[in-house]
Amino acid sequence: MDPAVDGWREILQPQLLDLGLLAAFMTLALVSFFRKSVALKYVTFVAAVGYLGFTKSSLVSVSDVFRLTDLSVPELKYSLAWYLFMTFVVVTTVLWGRVYCGRVCAFGALTQLMDPIIPRKMRIEIPVRIEKHANQIKYGVLAAVLAYFLITKDVAGPIRYAEPFWMFGLFGTTAMWAGLAVLLVATVFVRNLYCRFLCPVGAALGIVSQVTTVFRIKRWSECNSCKLCEKTCEWGAIRGPLIVKSECVRCDDCERLYMDQKKCPHWLILFKRKGNTAVPSPTLN
Amino acid sequence: MSQFQKVAAIALSLSCVVAVAAAADRIYTTPNPAAELKRLFPNAAAFSALTGEPLHFTAYGADPKTTPAAPTLGVAFWTTDLVPQEHGYHGPIHILVGMDMTGTLTGVVVTYNSEPYGYFSVEPPKFAMQFRGKKISDPFRVGGDVDAVSRASISIGSAARAIRDSARLVAKQLLPEAAK
Repeated sequence: MDPAVDGWREILQPQLLDLGLLAAFMTLALVSFFRKSVALKYVTFVAAVGYLGFTKSSLVSVSDVFRLTDLSVPELKYSLAWYLFMTFVVVTTVLWGRVYCGRVCAFGALTQLMDPIIPRKMRIEIPVRIEKHANQIKYGVLAAVLAYFLITKDVAGPIRYAEPFWMFGLFGTTAMWAGLAVLLVATVFVRNLYCRFLCPVGAALGIVSQVTTVFRIKRWSECNSCKLCEKTCEWGAIRGPLIVKSECVRCDDCERLYMDQKKCPHWLILFKRKGNTAVPSPTLN
Repeated sequence: MSQFQKVAAIALSLSCVVAVAAAADRIYTTPNPAAELKRLFPNAAAFSALTGEPLHFTAYGADPKTTPAAPTLGVAFWTTDLVPQEHGYHGPIHILVGMDMTGTLTGVVVTYNSEPYGYFSVEPPKFAMQFRGKKISDPFRVGGDVDAVSRASISIGSAARAIRDSARLVAKQLLPEAAK
């Protein structure tokens, strides 16, 4: 009985469904991103929670950051969907920033799905001076779990407590579920609390975004003085004229405002100068 | 502090951590799996040391020191010795496999894994249980004769392949002609 019996057919066939569904999801995420469509973004959230979350538990975990230290990866031919997923995450992050955090991560999608449901007046807006420091916590979490892993070589231990992604496996201890309950209740009041302040994966992708982001969000010259987008940004990623790339998850809220000829001062000033409103539809590149 | 300085500070502290950790490196193995061997061969009177090519333990029906003609009940071996290239989601899954002389598995014991979702994939007794009584000629197909876990398909697939391929390798070299 020879061990090597798996032909390409045996290797590929069990993976085809996963590959197809993942490709469909990636297409949906990119179409929603390029069309800046709110409706499609919510469809993406539901697909992320349902398929990537509860069906496959395909989330980038901080254990995937651990790999960078020991270069341990699953076998390519048996894990094609995983490689496709990771390539998608890395490429989108390098090109546009934390797109993964903004619409692919099942947990981020879950907390963002709370947005339209929870009344606005229940939300607590964190003052900018606190937010500026609070969103550094996630780098501390990343450094701490990475240090713990490197010293103990224990993968599962830190990720049970530093990230809640195990919840999609519906498998946790009472302590883990209690911690998650506290986190979700806090998220009712502070929007996307975990993603903005605590997530070590977001921290790692934030570092990559900060250094790479090829296609950045363009800004009008009026953005130097206007505060409209800064106030609208739910991720605390806009500070004056500057977009903080490590915080921005490409939610498109500000980009939709830029294109809104009735709200964005860029257009209002332009119309005033020209004395009419017959300006061709804007294109933002 | 500028954004660049922040990134540089983070990178610097991370590299310090890497240096500390490299010094404190630990290796997970089970050097003396006496209890695990007993679980795989409850009737064995004695076990050999881990030896031979391929590396294996031999389970004897009587102590070969006192009974030179002690019957061989079977062999046990580590998947990590036989198929070291087989990696799960994060590194190799350490499995001790027991096999009788007819090419039927007497059981498997998962001693160590570094799978993030190991606790619901390869760690539950339910996973190990399903390999007892399996023949090396069985397909070991996840979703077929091995239960699938949709949220941990890489771990389960790797563990099933490691057991199948290591057992077939050992059978090829150590089992009597009829069992191959």
